[in-house]
Amino acid sequence: MTPYSKKEVLLQTENVSLAYDGRTILRDINFCIRDIVRPGLQQGQVVSLIGRSGIGKTQLFRILSGLRKPDRGKVVIRERKPAETGGGAIEIWQQRVVEPGDMGVIFQNYYQFGWRTVRQSLMLAARQNKCLAGKEESAILDYAARFDISDVLNHYPAQLSGGQQQRVSIIQQLLKGADFLLLDEPFSGLDVCVLDKVTELLLQVSLSDELKTLIIVSHDIATSVAISDTVFILGRETGREGSTLVKEIDLMERGLAWCPDVRREKAFAETLAEIKSCL
Amino acid sequence: MFKPFATLNRTTFLIMVIAQAVFTLTVWQLTPAGLIPHPSRILEALGELLTSKLLIDNLLVSLLLTVKAMFYSVLITLVFSYLSVIPFFNSIAQLIVKCRYLTLTGLIFIFTLLTRDGGALKLSLLMFGIVPFFTTSFLSVLVRIPAQEFELCQTLGYNRWQTLYEVIIVGKADQVFEIVRQNFAIAWMMITMVEGLNMSEGGIGALLIKYNKYNDLPRVLALQGVIFGLGLCFDYALGSLRRWFFPYTKL
Repeated sequence: MTPYSKKEVLLQTENVSLAYDGRTILRDINFCIRDIVRPGLQQGQVVSLIGRSGIGKTQLFRILSGLRKPDRGKVVIRERKPAETGGGAIEIWQQRVVEPGDMGVIFQNYYQFGWRTVRQSLMLAARQNKCLAGKEESAILDYAARFDISDVLNHYPAQLSGGQQQRVSIIQQLLKGADFLLLDEPFSGLDVCVLDKVTELLLQVSLSDELKTLIIVSHDIATSVAISDTVFILGRETGREGSTLVKEIDLMERGLAWCPDVRREKAFAETLAEIKSCL
Repeated sequence: MFKPFATLNRTTFLIMVIAQAVFTLTVWQLTPAGLIPHPSRILEALGELLTSKLLIDNLLVSLLLTVKAMFYSVLITLVFSYLSVIPFFNSIAQLIVKCRYLTLTGLIFIFTLLTRDGGALKLSLLMFGIVPFFTTSFLSVLVRIPAQEFELCQTLGYNRWQTLYEVIIVGKADQVFEIVRQNFAIAWMMITMVEGLNMSEGGIGALLIKYNKYNDLPRVLALQGVIFGLGLCFDYALGSLRRWFFPYTKL
């Protein structure tokens, strides 16, 4: 098994609850995501939140992204802040409640402004990233080449295929510079070939920075498990209203993380069965 | 051609429209002469009007007034519509929308007192008539903005002013052209009314009233034809300008 260790908490939800029209949707959601360190490697985190349709995944997604405030509880993130000291520029760490704009958010339909070309959309995001000041154009060209969309930079969203729209959405949020990337049902409606490409793309993103953390909200159990290091299962408990986290599965512990042929492993099939039994 | 939801190509559609127009005009021409003049008589009157300086001069007066009124109306509409997202100004925008129920005729005296000459009076009356319709259309565009447009701004870390600029000012610029195009008919209809209220500077409306007074129906209908044709030209020009300025609208 690849050696690894879990370090600082990067994101923590504390008793997150949400009700709608007097009906509890989410109840006491508690989980934390830690920085996973692998010696000699730059390794980000890939976490999946799995649950059946209608269980409240999208609401949890909106709360995690800061677009919706929970009725109770909070989502706390740990972030890097540049600071000046007598000895020069350093990075300090601080914890705070998540706000809109803290996370890179990729919606299910990869929504982009219809009036902006791909280049303009990416520029809007790059200009929000102070670290890219003066280097926005080169950063866009670099990402476009890596994600194979160089030839559509001057196209409008309506001229792009679904896969291209997804890549543009991902690049846009990466250019913004957020450490966290939230993805809502990224595997939904993709054919097998595209699915493999998307999986590869997400793994590539997770390896781009030690603190890069992908949070995938999905009901596609097999694909989510195949690319994640940790899985949280959202489900309902008998006799109690609202959904909550019913199980956390550490895929690293089971030797199922960072393994290209994980689908062939016996433990993979067993894990899928275990997850299904929890849903 | 006679099936529901059937699609026709551009050429077929054009041929169909021309054939329908020719058929209607032929039937009209062949019906026994009565009070309503035949198309040939209207064409004759149009020819006479075109050769005289009268039509061109009055048409230019009306066109200039319409363009001026449209320009100022769009400006006022945009200012109040953009500001309507700020709660303090929303009530003003809503009041403007409700002003479409006011009639111009009852306000002529007030506007006469407030303006210095006939030209200013016509311009202000036109603007007062147009702005509520423009504002109504533009506010309905703002109401229909999908939540995702605002959410994308939030995820990009935009503040409220940046969101206003990106989603409403830049994002809905093409809609301004569409609203002008759709509401131009209202302005064009009002101009004849306003020029009829104040005939001091002439205009196509004043000309229409003059010919109506003398029951010169061929010239009245010829003028209606000119007004109709010009309206169609403006409609086409504004549509083309929109596609040219905002290429994404034709995708």
